Order: sequence, then C-alpha cells, then structure tokens
Amino acid sequence: MRKWISTLTLNKTLALVALTLGAIAVFAVPVPGGTITLDAKELALVIGREADHVDPPELASWIIEARADYRLIDLRGEAAFAQYSIPGAINVPTARLIDAGLGRPEKLVLYSDDGVGAAQAWMLLRARGYKAVYMLKGGLDGWKDQVMFPIVADNPTPDQRTRDERARSVSAFFGGRPRSSSTVAAGGSGFAMPTVPTLPKVAAPASPTGGAKPTAKKREGC
Amino acid sequence: MMAPFFKYGLFGDQTSLVVAFFIGIGFGFFLERAGLASARKLMAQFYLTDLAVFKVMFTSIITAMLGLTYLSWLGWLDLSLVYLVPTYLMPQVVGGLVLGAGFVTGGYCPGTSVAATATGRVDGLVSILGITFGMFVFAEAFPLVKGFYLSGAGEAMTIPKAFGLPYGLVVFAVVLMALGGFYGAGILEKKIAARSGE
Repeated sequence: MRKWISTLTLNKTLALVALTLGAIAVFAVPVPGGTITLDAKELALVIGREADHVDPPELASWIIEARADYRLIDLRGEAAFAQYSIPGAINVPTARLIDAGLGRPEKLVLYSDDGVGAAQAWMLLRARGYKAVYMLKGGLDGWKDQVMFPIVADNPTPDQRTRDERARSVSAFFGGRPRSSSTVAAGGSGFAMPTVPTLPKVAAPASPTGGAKPTAKKREGC
Repeated sequence: MMAPFFKYGLFGDQTSLVVAFFIGIGFGFFLERAGLASARKLMAQFYLTDLAVFKVMFTSIITAMLGLTYLSWLGWLDLSLVYLVPTYLMPQVVGGLVLGAGFVTGGYCPGTSVAATATGRVDGLVSILGITFGMFVFAEAFPLVKGFYLSGAGEAMTIPKAFGLPYGLVVFAVVLMALGGFYGAGILEKKIAARSGE
C-alpha cells in the first residue's frame, strides 16, 4: 500500500486525499448548524437567577443615558412596530432573527408584546450560540405599566415620593403620564379609559445602536 | 476562538478591508501563477484545447468546500455565519450568460482582467474599462431591470437544503464530480490536441 502510494504523482496523491476526505464526510460530518447543543444546567441557572432579564425602568435609564453598548430588538410585526416602539429599537420579527446579521458578541435586549415571544426568541438565539441575550421583563406591557404609565401613590410617604418623582420624570421623558393608585384600584386606568392609554410616539435619542428603522444588512461577497 | 472572525467581532469594518485587500492580493497572485492572467489561456478553455481554468476553479471549489466542512466539524468555524449569496435563480442564470458572452468576447472575466492589467497587459486594461462602462450602463438602466433583478425567492439556497440531501453526501458527490471532471478534462485535451495535429 505504502509502495503504491509512493508511486503516485502529486496530482493523483491530492486526488486521493480529496476522495478520502469526501468519503469520511459522508459518514462522519454532521450537517453544519443542524444540531444544537444546549447546556441545560447553565440555562437553568440563568433563568433561575433572572439574569436573562432587563427591567423596564433599567432599560429606560439606559435610553435616557444614551448608552450605546446594547441593541434593542422589537420582535413584533412591522405594523405593530410602526404604531409604537420603544425609542432606539430596531424591528426584527422573530422569523427573521437568525438571518438578521446580529453580532454574537453584541448585547441584545429583546421584547415583544408580552414576555412569551421574547422568551422564545431568547431561547432561539441562545441555542445559536448568542451569549449576551436579555429579555425586557414583561415586554411592551411591562414597559407601559412601569415606564410610560407608572402608578403613583395619592398620598405618598417620603420614600414613595422620591420614587414617584423619578417615575414621573422618566414617564414624561418618554411622553407618558403616571396613573394615580386610587383610580387604578377603582378599576380604571387612571385616565378614564378602558385600557392603558394610547402610547405616544417618541423620537429616539441619538444613539449608534438605535434608529426607528432596522439597519440594512451589509452586503458581502464580490 | 471561532471563525468567521469578523462575525464574531474579532475585528471591525476597517480591519476587514485590510484583510480583504491581502486576500485580493493572494487571489490575484494565484490567478497569475495558474496562468489565468493570459487571455490566450482563458480562451483555450472555450475551445477545449486547455482546460486549466476548469481545473483551477474546481480545485479551489473542493479545497474550500472540504476546508469549510472539516473546520465546522472541528468546531472552529460556525458555518451558519458564512455569507451565502441570495439565490435569484433566473436573474443569475441570465447574468451568468451575459458575463459568459462578455468573457468569450473580451477574453477576460473581471478578476482575471485585473490580474492581467497588473502584469502589464493592455488588453486587460481595455477589459477593465469595458467592465466599468458596463457597470455604469447597468446602474443607469437599473430602474428598468429592477423587477427582474429581484425576482425569485431571494433566499440563500444550497444543494443540501434544496434537495434535502445530507451535507456530507453532497460534499462527497462534488468531490467525485471534480475528480471525474479532471479525468475527463485530461482525455478531452488529448483528443482535441490529436485532432488539431499538435
């Protein structure tokens, strides 16, 4: 065998190598990207500690500070996104998430209407090897309740007053209005409306990560 | 460390341009060393007297394919992040025919025309000017052809995905196709040479 191989020309040797590697690929090489391995223990720890969450007030402070170390991803459809989106968010529906060209080292904050859609997208990205993926706790509903239209006490204690003042200023920044606790307790929304008030459209603060429109995918290749 | 390095954020746009520059230099160097900076050599492919172009291109295809396959198998490369050109089947078929017509008329394709110019060939320079003019005409006429240009699925279609075949089997089939092609090319060259009395 070795003697026979030593008699081969360079071209034939290379052909033999290619043939061998090709034959091994049939049996040994799995479909790339076809199998996903998840570290269940690590995921359970992350979920258990709620380390995969960003609270709405925390996100609000990031936006106010014009932080640029994260990308805010709105997973809803285009129509819903056009109607209202959190300032700085880009619209990437879940179906397009994998092909959206999101960088793996990037810090990604996902949100949908509630927490379910974001949780599914979170799992999808984690399964594809994205490490720095977070969900907005409560989704857009949580954003409305805690940032846009927070509940403030009618007769606040000194501690509550400080917290409510902060909530008012944050709410005002995003074009919202606080709701009084008494009105909400009485079953109203605080604005004599059947549901949470209509969200105002707010311009995003200047930020390299943000923009009302999704960034166009960079064209590659020749 | 995982590849593709750019996609994993190892370097940014500016560095990637520098990397692309050196890859381009390498590409041009190997084109020239393979003799593909000569219009005569390239034209011989169409007359079936010298199938070097076929051999060089198919060799590079299977080298890259096997390299990507095994690197992803070893876990050094995330194949899902390797860029694939979106498939617009009919526009790409027509585009290929137009490029082929230009290739057989002028003697060069875009890459080889640059390699030829770098080696001092005037016909390569004329080809570049022609390509540039063609690009200008296409850009100006783009609104007229935009509908057709973007017709089709627009998804990056691969053979395993399109036919539901195992990836490894497609790899092996392409290797067999290449080796069969090389063997057939050798026989064909000899036949054509014998017929033309060389």
